[in-house]
Amino acid sequence: MPFGGAPGGDTHHAVALLRAIRSERDDRWMPPSVRVSNLTRRFGEITAVDDVSFEVGEAEIFGFLGPNGAGKTTTISMLCTLLTPTAGQAYVGGHEVGEDAGAVRREIGIVFQDSTVDERLTARENLVFHGELFGMPRNEIRPRAEQLLERVELADRADDAVLTFSGGMRRRLEVARGLMHWPSVLFLDEPTVGLDPQTRRSLWAYARSLRETEGVTIFLTTHYMDEAEACDRVAIMDYGKIIALDTPEHLKATLGGDVVSVSGADNEALAREVRESFEVEPRIENDAVEFNVERGGDFVPILLARLKNPVQSVGIRAPTLEDVFVSLTGHQIRDTSFSEQDKFRSMQKRGFGRRMR
Amino acid sequence: MTAEQATEAAPNVRTGVPRRTGGRASFLQVVRVIWLREILIYFRDKPRMISAFTMPVIMLVMFGEGLGKSIAPLPGGIDYRQFIFPGMVAMIVLMNSIFAGVSIVTDRQFGFLREILVAPVSRAAICIGKISGGATIALVNGSVMFAIAPILGIDISLIVVAKLLPLIALISFMLTGVGVALGSRLRSVESFQMISQMAIFPAMFLSGIFFPINNVPTWMDVLVKLNPVTYAVAPIREIALSEQLAAIPEDAPFQITHVELFGHTLSTFEEIGIVVAFGALMLVIAIRAIQTTE
Repeated sequence: MPFGGAPGGDTHHAVALLRAIRSERDDRWMPPSVRVSNLTRRFGEITAVDDVSFEVGEAEIFGFLGPNGAGKTTTISMLCTLLTPTAGQAYVGGHEVGEDAGAVRREIGIVFQDSTVDERLTARENLVFHGELFGMPRNEIRPRAEQLLERVELADRADDAVLTFSGGMRRRLEVARGLMHWPSVLFLDEPTVGLDPQTRRSLWAYARSLRETEGVTIFLTTHYMDEAEACDRVAIMDYGKIIALDTPEHLKATLGGDVVSVSGADNEALAREVRESFEVEPRIENDAVEFNVERGGDFVPILLARLKNPVQSVGIRAPTLEDVFVSLTGHQIRDTSFSEQDKFRSMQKRGFGRRMR
Repeated sequence: MTAEQATEAAPNVRTGVPRRTGGRASFLQVVRVIWLREILIYFRDKPRMISAFTMPVIMLVMFGEGLGKSIAPLPGGIDYRQFIFPGMVAMIVLMNSIFAGVSIVTDRQFGFLREILVAPVSRAAICIGKISGGATIALVNGSVMFAIAPILGIDISLIVVAKLLPLIALISFMLTGVGVALGSRLRSVESFQMISQMAIFPAMFLSGIFFPINNVPTWMDVLVKLNPVTYAVAPIREIALSEQLAAIPEDAPFQITHVELFGHTLSTFEEIGIVVAFGALMLVIAIRAIQTTE
């Protein structure tokens, strides 16, 4: 009897299922890997991180998306105990960063923006050194190093000096080293900056696979959209505040449909006309009038039929996180024109973001 | 949720990967691994190994053979080459010890210092590891001088060498503290080299390495006695030349070793005591420097 059986059996089955779900949920309940409440960091007059609160679940890939100077690295530095918060609390792996920095450090692996591997040692030696420094049991260090080198596909280069490695190989080695001591959270600060697109993609694939094999929570900062899209949840940060936090799908869904862009000789006039005749809120981005609309493909013919202003080009695309960012902040992530405050922020970041405790 | 709840270790449910809690490195484990890395890197750097003791050998030959021939024998009939040999050992130790501090500067430049500083380990252990590493290298280099002594025509017995090695180890440790303290404060290899040269040269010339310290003008006498290296050179020479020194008559124009401080002639042990005190001070300064480094 493939399905159900007697009516009584059905009820019984449903109850069992409910019970299973409930117990599963109970099992699943666990403290979040990272819990941050009202975290603030000031550098003199500048508030780099402003009253930020969020939680990151176990084995989640969590991304911090924002422009340079938004406070991403400052936040991550506080979570890694490298910077003291001005106010607020942050728990990583159940330990408060200010109260028990040592315990937090044992719980986390860090991959910095800049390389921190020893070029004169071999890949394997870098891992073994790390394992010993973190007090791993002696008999576990070498097998663990072996396993990780295998996983990041550096096993054949294990005994070569890091000096001979390419940028992508070094970064992979750093990821492997960050995972050496079985951290529960792996922090990746702009992990793919300075790498070519292909290496970026492969590194990203490694990171995802490592989450599956290592069961580690991955917490990364990025200003690349494609990287943020690949996260389970993304916190969008701007001027020290989290302005949105959700899955990439939900964030994009808030925009409502596809992005339609039209451009003509007079974009201002075009925008005015679109606003008046279609009840949408257009914005001028990338030398075009852009707005969001459900089922953009069906909409474009109607748009073109009705517009009186001359149109030179028209495009439809699915919304990206960049669009979400723009609609939330009114400016683009890779704004090239830095305001004075931005400059000061990034200066502060360079000076203070690396300060150690 | 309370903090107590949060501290319970959470299993990884989603992926089912067992969570392994890493141990905690003991103080000595940290010292050992930092020390080991220093040694490993040193022995891979062949040019540095060779350059470290070519200069003292050249000086020993040039000064000993060239200058020594024109200098009248010192009191007790000690010839100049024999006189400066213990000094050259001290010099090699001095140069290697101070220069060992450069490893912190290069670690910083490579970014590797961050890897060490974010580890959940005591900074004092990191510091002692660094110092022991540098001191070991200095000791190895100092010992090489004894190995090549017969080739250079220096007469030194194995018993004397055995007595000297622990002393040289101690002196290496003390002087490496200076190098490490310096290294944790400087940001570039170039500035480290400049500053360490500025420290090494006066310390070298005003320490009795090249000439007896008890036969110098008063102004120099003050500088010599303020120089901690003086108290390291003297005991090395006293042990190396113990037989010849015993032969010097009481009424010699000057004693070629034993530092005279405030009219009191220090014994070898008193000099070593000063070395230990200075070494302890340097250790404290170096640990402070590493603890507050960024």
